[in-house]
Amino acid sequence: MDDDSRPDAALGLEGVPHTGESVDGDGMLVEPQAEDFRSAKPASANPSWFKGAVFYEVLVRAFSDSNGDGMGDLRGLASRLDYLEWLGVDCLWLPPFYASPLRDGGYDISDFRAVLPEFGTVEDFVYLLEEAHRRGIRVITDLVLNHTSDAHPWFQESRQNPDGPYGDYYVWSDDDSRYSDARVIFVDTESSNWTYDPVRGQFFWHRFFSHQPDLNYENPDVQEAMLDVLRFWLDLGIDGFRLDAVPYLFEEEGTNCENLPRTHEFLKRCRKVVDDEYPDRVLLAEANQWPSDVVEYFGDPEVGGDECHMAFHFPLMPRIFMAVRRESRFPISEILAQTPAIPENAQWGIFLRNHDELTLEMVTDEERDYMYAEYAKDPRMKANIGIRRRLAPLLENDRNQHELFTALLLSLPGSPVLYYGDEIGMGDNIWLADRDAVRTPMQWTPDRNAGFSSCDPGRIYLPVIMDPVYGYQGLNVEAQLNNSSSLLNWTRRMIEVRKQHHAFAEGDFSELGGSNPSVLAYKRLWKRPDGREDIVLCVNNLSRFPQPVELDLSEHRDYTPLELTGGVKFPAIGELPYLLTLPGHGFYWFQLVEAGDDSEMR
Amino acid sequence: MIDPHELVDKLVASLPDLLPQARWFGGKDKPITAVRPLRTTVVHDDLVHVVIEVEQPGRTENYQGALSLSTGAWDVLLDPDHNGVLLDGIAAGYEADGIVFAHEPGTELRTGLRGRPIGVEQSNTSLIYGQQYILKIFRKLARGENRDLVMHRALRSVGCEHIAQPLGSISTELDGEPVTLAMLQEFLPDAVEGWDMAKTSVRDLMAEADLHAFEVGGDFAGEAHRLGSAVAKVHADLAEALGTQVADEAATDRAIAGMLRRLGEVTEAVPELARYEEPLRTTFEEARQHIGRIPIQHIHGDLHLGQVLRTVQGWLLIDFEGEPAASVEDRLALRSPLRDVAGMLRSFDYAARQLLVGQPDDDQLAYRAMEWTKRNRAAFCDGYAEVAADPRDNAPLLRAFELDKAVYEVAYEHANRPEWLTVPLSSIARMTSGGE
Repeated sequence: MDDDSRPDAALGLEGVPHTGESVDGDGMLVEPQAEDFRSAKPASANPSWFKGAVFYEVLVRAFSDSNGDGMGDLRGLASRLDYLEWLGVDCLWLPPFYASPLRDGGYDISDFRAVLPEFGTVEDFVYLLEEAHRRGIRVITDLVLNHTSDAHPWFQESRQNPDGPYGDYYVWSDDDSRYSDARVIFVDTESSNWTYDPVRGQFFWHRFFSHQPDLNYENPDVQEAMLDVLRFWLDLGIDGFRLDAVPYLFEEEGTNCENLPRTHEFLKRCRKVVDDEYPDRVLLAEANQWPSDVVEYFGDPEVGGDECHMAFHFPLMPRIFMAVRRESRFPISEILAQTPAIPENAQWGIFLRNHDELTLEMVTDEERDYMYAEYAKDPRMKANIGIRRRLAPLLENDRNQHELFTALLLSLPGSPVLYYGDEIGMGDNIWLADRDAVRTPMQWTPDRNAGFSSCDPGRIYLPVIMDPVYGYQGLNVEAQLNNSSSLLNWTRRMIEVRKQHHAFAEGDFSELGGSNPSVLAYKRLWKRPDGREDIVLCVNNLSRFPQPVELDLSEHRDYTPLELTGGVKFPAIGELPYLLTLPGHGFYWFQLVEAGDDSEMR
Repeated sequence: MIDPHELVDKLVASLPDLLPQARWFGGKDKPITAVRPLRTTVVHDDLVHVVIEVEQPGRTENYQGALSLSTGAWDVLLDPDHNGVLLDGIAAGYEADGIVFAHEPGTELRTGLRGRPIGVEQSNTSLIYGQQYILKIFRKLARGENRDLVMHRALRSVGCEHIAQPLGSISTELDGEPVTLAMLQEFLPDAVEGWDMAKTSVRDLMAEADLHAFEVGGDFAGEAHRLGSAVAKVHADLAEALGTQVADEAATDRAIAGMLRRLGEVTEAVPELARYEEPLRTTFEEARQHIGRIPIQHIHGDLHLGQVLRTVQGWLLIDFEGEPAASVEDRLALRSPLRDVAGMLRSFDYAARQLLVGQPDDDQLAYRAMEWTKRNRAAFCDGYAEVAADPRDNAPLLRAFELDKAVYEVAYEHANRPEWLTVPLSSIARMTSGGE
């Protein structure tokens, strides 16, 4: 066959192992296998590690550049693991680092079994895993199950050989009329879920961009092929996957093609592979939906959950922003009240910001207008249905609010996911295209390129932040390490406190109400295996003004609240409501210690 | 064993000294000339219920309380070590010598809880049991079934979602007439009074006086809108449960005459009102022309931001006893639902201006307060209109009800809080000169 029609032609992976290097006698593409590589020693065994873990989302491209090409890479990230260990991070979440034409931030994967060359190689990834596991840090990454890039050799085969083994790997149709009830997700750029392919002479189905054809899960070969992709990385030692865009795997006429029963069936198969072959690893569902729908992705509660171990709680995040602006706890209280119980072996993932825009899909129209008005005063701050800003600028660089938001993130039910750079209060650059505003280089030092890369500054993948407020000269890890009152040191301390009380991880959540609408107070109660209780009380002032609150703690009469950051004992709880006063945007974390127990139990 | 009657006799002798110290005692303005026990009931080993008659110059009222049989301690209704039996009795459907403890059909209650008194009320005592139930004990006893209980039961019967559900009651008879002693309802620990919610919003606005009411983070319009819908739904539920009528002309005349009479009385007492007397009189007279045959029904009767609770499930209306100053007869009469709407609209005005009271004049803040009021009054009416007829459709009547309420407020503030007099007066000034 001539070069252009080779299925791996569009990959640009000459010289590294990749899918479609050769074709076997049955017309099947030869793919790299895990045995071809060294694998990493697994992290220490603990099947429920994810329930209490502090996650840290880090973009490989943005964190650290080891070879001076202006772009962060896996070796660079590995060189910063000491910092992450010091911060208290338990698990890194890496957005996709696979081979990709990068037309959708790497979510357009062109080879599931190769690493994007500018990030390094599969060997580099194994090195990162080894180094992370050595420090007790786990690593999960995004895996897009729903679609591939149109550059993927599978798609190239599929469009060129409709009758070959890959002919049925994608959803092809002679016209664009099927599944018309499915909405178009990227309304900014796409007008239809069908695109005509002149090579094959048919339309292909895509829920996202038209360069991302959906895989055809009706085809059992596709299901097997994707399970083998999971196995490939799990064999190398990865600790789990964030499964991207899971609601869309199957299509069915007359439905909106989301959350279909067969999609759940396939996720159960994925889970079974993990449970049978790779205990200790996790699946995290990305399903941007209401909690009452998302719980479906945990699977059957009777057996403790048999689909994903974790799922993101999307609507909580915009509600936290709303509550603080309204100075009213109700936006948070309401969404938590609407959040159903989850299976025993499941956990929410919660976050304040991530690499995407601040998503406003899960709010009402009225709330969306409100969020735009409050947080996206400049139209450039908006993208799709969200706001592209980092935490610090969203909060107008107010340290008190930054601390309050972080305290909420670390104490509300769910495993917290930090976004790289937010621990030092990094800024954004809304003049960059699309979502790059929040993907600028990590600011390590006041040196050239913020210590991120030794390259010529003109070569860097995105300019470092240089404005007078958030610029790297003043705002960087080195400066904050040397300042004991910095946001970085404060954040590390709070993570440490969180880890001392398992109630934060798995404790039952109950809101305490109270007559002051600006105060959000809740209890986390964890029954330890020895039968004793670890009770944590969190009180948050969502208002910028000082507030009093009277809390009914009569259930814990004679207990002593022990403040968790300083260890100060507060007056014992009596039968009368417990009075606390909080400064503007202030918060308290207490442990409730039983009378006579001076051990200050952990 | 101690004879309870002996104990009660001893108690009664000391009550003229004890009663004036009780928060709930409503006769603090006059000396007590006599206290007589009307009924003594041993509810439980350690709780003896007592109904007393308190005689004062010009009035005789009945009150209730309880003492401990073992220690003789007075008013153990407030004592968590003793008051658990009240809830247990309601749960069990207990009857003790003419005092009937009953739960509402189909309710099951937890027992063995202690009742913690909450200290916010004036005329009643409320006990919170285990953050689940609230028992409202009516201290001053009125003959006839309590309106609050009757209305709650009616609303429950049609599945109303905007109330704290009634769960049970304690009742008895005095002189052959039913008397409600207490009402048990679900307690909502997350509830916040509408007044506190509104204050939070106004505080936010006042702190940023260069931003408009619709621009600030603490905007209340969404809440006001939902509140309007909740009130309209309660009105619809009350109509469904208890029926409606159409007011005849005689009723209209009586209502207008009442407004004019109040205006005359208050103008005499409060000279500041005099300059508005003419326009007010005209407004009331004009309302008569516009009223026609309006529907009347049972309404809340004393609706303001302090009578609504925000919970995670939405807004609830509480306390259906009716206007405290009104006679029993008036409280029971059918009214136009617009009276409740008018009450709430007035309350928005109060909420907006409460931070300005006692402060030097500040045009900028006064302007913001006006903005807040307008915005939230409109949102409330919009919410109401989503469920029922738009209250603004009958503007002349609504305005008359509001102004009548404002005249009442003038009298109240004049007598009790002269600093606040500017709040109703400025509203009257605005509304009588064609403002909203």
